[in-house]
Amino acid sequence: MLFNYIKIAWKVLLRHPFYTFITLFGISLTLTVLMVLTSFLDHLFGAHYPESKRNRFLYVATVLQTDSSHTSMSSGPATFAFLTKYAKTLKTPERVSIFSNFSFSNTYVNGKRIKLNTKYTDADFWYLTDFEFLEGKPFNEQNIKNSDHVVVITDALRDQYFEKDVGPVIGKYVEIEGVNYKVMGVVKGSPATRLYTYSDVYFPYTAPKSNYENKGMRGRYVAIVLAKNESDIPEIQSEFDSKIATISKADIKDGRNFSILIVKAEKYFEHFVNTFARENKQKIFAYTIAAFVLMMFMGLPAINLVNVNVSRILERASEIGVRKAFGAPSKALLLQFIIENIFITFIGGVFALALSFLVITMINSSGWIAYADLTINFTVFLISIAVCLVFGLVSGVLPAFRMSRLKIVDALKA
Amino acid sequence: MLRHLFKLIWNKKGSHSLLIIEIWASFMVLFGVLSLIVYNVNNYLQPIGFEYEQVWNLDLASNQDTVEVAAKLQRVLQRIRSSKEVESASRMSSNTPFSANQMSNSVTYNKVGVGADFYHTDSELAKTLDLSLSAGKWYKEADRVSKFTPVVINSKLREKLFIDENPLGKVIVQDGTNNFKVVGVVDQFKAKGEFMADHPAIFLMLAKDDSWNSNILVKTKPGTDANFEASLVKDIALMLPGWGIEVSYLKESRENRHKLTLVPVLIFLIISGFLLTNVALGLFGILNLGIARRRNEIGLRRAMGATEGKVTIQFLGEIWVLATLSLIIGLLFAVQFPIMHVFDIASGIYITAILAAIVIIFIIVTLCAWYPSRQASRIHPALALHEE
Repeated sequence: MLFNYIKIAWKVLLRHPFYTFITLFGISLTLTVLMVLTSFLDHLFGAHYPESKRNRFLYVATVLQTDSSHTSMSSGPATFAFLTKYAKTLKTPERVSIFSNFSFSNTYVNGKRIKLNTKYTDADFWYLTDFEFLEGKPFNEQNIKNSDHVVVITDALRDQYFEKDVGPVIGKYVEIEGVNYKVMGVVKGSPATRLYTYSDVYFPYTAPKSNYENKGMRGRYVAIVLAKNESDIPEIQSEFDSKIATISKADIKDGRNFSILIVKAEKYFEHFVNTFARENKQKIFAYTIAAFVLMMFMGLPAINLVNVNVSRILERASEIGVRKAFGAPSKALLLQFIIENIFITFIGGVFALALSFLVITMINSSGWIAYADLTINFTVFLISIAVCLVFGLVSGVLPAFRMSRLKIVDALKA
Repeated sequence: MLRHLFKLIWNKKGSHSLLIIEIWASFMVLFGVLSLIVYNVNNYLQPIGFEYEQVWNLDLASNQDTVEVAAKLQRVLQRIRSSKEVESASRMSSNTPFSANQMSNSVTYNKVGVGADFYHTDSELAKTLDLSLSAGKWYKEADRVSKFTPVVINSKLREKLFIDENPLGKVIVQDGTNNFKVVGVVDQFKAKGEFMADHPAIFLMLAKDDSWNSNILVKTKPGTDANFEASLVKDIALMLPGWGIEVSYLKESRENRHKLTLVPVLIFLIISGFLLTNVALGLFGILNLGIARRRNEIGLRRAMGATEGKVTIQFLGEIWVLATLSLIIGLLFAVQFPIMHVFDIASGIYITAILAAIVIIFIIVTLCAWYPSRQASRIHPALALHEE
């Protein structure tokens, strides 16, 4: 029987290829947009190389100083000293790493200029992140203590800076802004969307020009706190908050008129949201806009689907009439339409899966984001399919329900 | 005629309400995307106001060096100006063109306060960036008079601050303490690229002993390559041990800025393009089915003497009335944007977007209804009535 229904559905699909196309286009388009979008969000906020422990990470990345009336405000990364004093000393976490936000530099080789992103890190940085070392190893506490001029570079920079096929580059030198650094390791690069761990060159923080000696609060360093378990996170946050609460009024003033200091250890997504919308009102506004846009983008194909189905169901009136005349109960008819709709939705889903795969491969290989590693999230795929099923059912079943209660005479007449 | 159309629509309000919702939603999506596009295009059409092709930005950071920073900067500037590859060079605050940095403050004249972008530079900037002055001249070392810092403002700030008055020689105040004397007015200065709106801007003369603003804009002669750049950086690194030196080309920074604007626009454009195609196809299908179902009615009208054209117009008219109804609902939402100045965008932009959205919706609707209407009008009355 099930097979029969599917066979009928298939025949109905083939009867008017144009309407079939409209229906499938709507379903697969909505699903594709949803999947590509969530895959991109997952790329931005999910736990991926080299931050695959991101679920256990807390980011201390913004120090915000302001006065009570919010007329003057200063916000940005902190100094190395500030983070050493308040983040590094935390008891609850497994490890804490302090490193600089990326900054820019250039290096020249054979009359060619290479643009660089540089980062100064401590040794724990290599413990927290899981960079894949293609050659060599990371620098350690000893290198930092000796202020060694050593670097870890990415494979992309290695290929640009050194001649092809020179073999291992460990022990060779890279000249940056007039200083020679010895290459200690080569890591597989990460996409620039991993804002805090991304760079081309990693220096130990005691290397020249790192400014780790700066005093005060605002500088260019951020910290990542690694919790032992995800469940420890609230405890770490409260420990950090209580540490920050001990900062004296005079220190908060920081040589200016500031009276309020806000520093938080936050999960990545919260941190990201807070950079854009600090107050609750702004957050609600942003969420409303996002929900509205999403609703529009999903609602439009849904309404379209409903419209097409409502118009088309009349086509089947005579078929329904005949089935009813031969004694089919309303339930059986309804079941048939439900199965038909599920069938169509799944066909749309298959197309969507193929399309999203295509789009994601295109994004990954287009070089739009270097080292992009977008993947299809199958949980999202299932949820999207479920959403589409709801659309399909609403759009197909409601009119079908009406039709199934049609009097046989009327149905046959139409 | 119109009343008749309304009656026809009202009679089938159940199925038409869904169509109205669909057209309304398309209008809202179109309005959103078009506002974004109109805003950017409108900005793009205004000249950027300066030359960037041959200009490099040298970003120097003194790091832990605190000794005689100002003198060192001055020496580096001399060194750069003495190279034969360099046409002119000028110091600037960190908010160089196309950078992500911003510095803004409020300035007051005659109790009117206006927020403006502050650029601290020296007397050579007009030459380095080829700024064209519409009034007065660029400041020189000799313009510095005891407590007044000479400044140049852009036309936007002039409009807001002075309206019709002649700004030259007037004194504007920041924070009630810093006094600036206006010596010139430049036309435009869209420092963040073509897609940025022309914000009020003010250029302040750098103090001689300034050690804080350590960016240097270098205009090179055409044909200068990375070899000169490498040797220049090497020289500066020798002159300034421990300093950070970063060179970027304004041309490249501009492209990056543009990407930041264009990528979201492109994504929205692609998605809404697909959405509208979807809607158009759906609309076409629905109208096709709807009209096919009204063969008898058409046959009757044709038998009573209606021409092909009249029948076509009737169906087109029906969909136009339907579209108008949805657009009226849509307008109720859309006009809130210019009225409430959402996102601080000029109301002209929203109104252009609304008009463009209305035109596009009518075009889509007409295109979708055209073929089914023509098809309907060609129905032969004898055939149509015979089926009955």
